[in-house]
Amino acid sequence: MQTQEDLEPTVRIRELKKDRVNFVLGNVDLAFANSLRRVVMADIPTVAIDMVEIEVNTTVLPDEFIAHRLGMVPLNSSNCEEAIKYTRDCTCLAGCPYCSLMLHLNVACHDDNTMDVTSDHLDLVPFPTDPEQQNPEPGEELAQRGELFGQPVGKHEPGVPPVLICKIRKGQELKMKCTAKKGIAKEHAKWSPCSAVSFEYDPHNKLRHTTHWYEKSIKEEWPLSENALEEEPPREDEAFDFNAKPNKFYFEVETDGSLGPQEVVMRGLAELQTKLANLILGLKKQPDGEILANDPQVNGHVPAAEPSWAGGGQQSAWGAGASTGGWPTTSRGNASQWGSGSDGGATSGWARSGSDGGATSGWGSGSATAAATTTGWASPSRQTNGWNS
Amino acid sequence: MNAPARHELYVLEDGEKGVEVTEDTKIPNAATIKIVKQDHTLGNMLRAQLLSMPQVLFAGYKVPHPLHPYFLLKIQTDGTITPQAILEQACTKLIGTMAALETKFKREFSYKDVEGAVGGVGAGGVGGVGGPGADDPYGGGAGRWGRERDYLDF
Ligand SMILES: [Zn+2]
Repeated sequence: MQTQEDLEPTVRIRELKKDRVNFVLGNVDLAFANSLRRVVMADIPTVAIDMVEIEVNTTVLPDEFIAHRLGMVPLNSSNCEEAIKYTRDCTCLAGCPYCSLMLHLNVACHDDNTMDVTSDHLDLVPFPTDPEQQNPEPGEELAQRGELFGQPVGKHEPGVPPVLICKIRKGQELKMKCTAKKGIAKEHAKWSPCSAVSFEYDPHNKLRHTTHWYEKSIKEEWPLSENALEEEPPREDEAFDFNAKPNKFYFEVETDGSLGPQEVVMRGLAELQTKLANLILGLKKQPDGEILANDPQVNGHVPAAEPSWAGGGQQSAWGAGASTGGWPTTSRGNASQWGSGSDGGATSGWARSGSDGGATSGWGSGSATAAATTTGWASPSRQTNGWNS
Repeated sequence: MNAPARHELYVLEDGEKGVEVTEDTKIPNAATIKIVKQDHTLGNMLRAQLLSMPQVLFAGYKVPHPLHPYFLLKIQTDGTITPQAILEQACTKLIGTMAALETKFKREFSYKDVEGAVGGVGAGGVGGVGGPGADDPYGGGAGRWGRERDYLDF
């Protein structure tokens, strides 16, 4: 029982394609694997059309029908974490270039044939700025965007069929302005980067976590999955081991194209760490009772007496930048460090640094693997190691 | 119309505390910890991690109501450590596991070549999009869309 926790988790990627990754996770707890599954499905931000202003709709479909379909069109969301703000965190009144994208749809049919209105007709245009309103503090978001950011996935890409929105006949017209916003799938499923996540463990059902209904024979009526090849089939006379725990988890993360599979998985892990780090921060604040949110000590983090929190001379360990306070959600932007020596004497620091090269991301108390690795799924190296999403 | 903003289900409000610890008055070394704006994703993972730690006598969590965005985590320890401290340790351990996994994923991804041509979807190219004020044939018409309005209002 205890041994499982002490082993390093393992991962083996069985297949990596443009829109999907299939991997096997080992030496982790069922709850842990399930949390990873949940987080990639529901907690990773993307952009999707959220508001539609309809100017002309003389098609057979009602406005809300089309608006709903537009919302579901996957838009390119690479580096969404830094490339766009949430409107709720933005200083603007009703959308600005830093928190919103504008897509125009303007199609009319003058032809005798039926015409398809597809996601290829969506044109990304610069977000109109309100001359009345003083431009909100210019963010760095725009510089973080790839050239395709906000474009419908696969637009004008050969071999990628566009998403059909509506069919129109001669004399019908569709003209609308769509505002796309950043969001997560907990709010609406259209923001999920995943179209499907398959998750399996114990393909032989040795653990009896499920009960198979059958008429004559389980074996004949329940064909084994492909993953069954990875595990030893139970012997005929094998006794039920009620202490056994699942240890191998078969994942397939399939994305809708808004993010690549690698970005989805890596963001998912980062998001889980953020959740945990926020919880630690919440616990740290607890004993003192009412620490005000604008207390510089808290925002600029840790009491000086607390040696275990590594500030590292970096600017801002605990996300002073995040408007919600606490752990910065955009942690890769500002160099943020988090460390705790609470267990064991060794200093362990969890650091992620972004923009300025190198991106050391190591954690763990002197654990050779973690310490030796300098990498980044953080910005710059991403381009060099064939990171595409 | 008068529906609460959907993000209230997962974003802490201004000044809202994410964690509330209530120590148990009847059971020694026990506490109930309310974790706000989080769900099974965190709750179940923490529960499992706590149960694997030898100092923990009891750990359990529940989401009392699906419409209330918080969960309760009950922990009892053997007295060598407080429930808060063990929870913090559990978080630290999980972050460690996660970071180890991150490293391994990175390595695995770098070994694997994406099968099938990868379109130019990378985050590489910069700029292009969004320079304000370019020729916008519709003018600043988007201004009349308040944040709370969406197409459902029609
Ligand atoms: Zn804005």
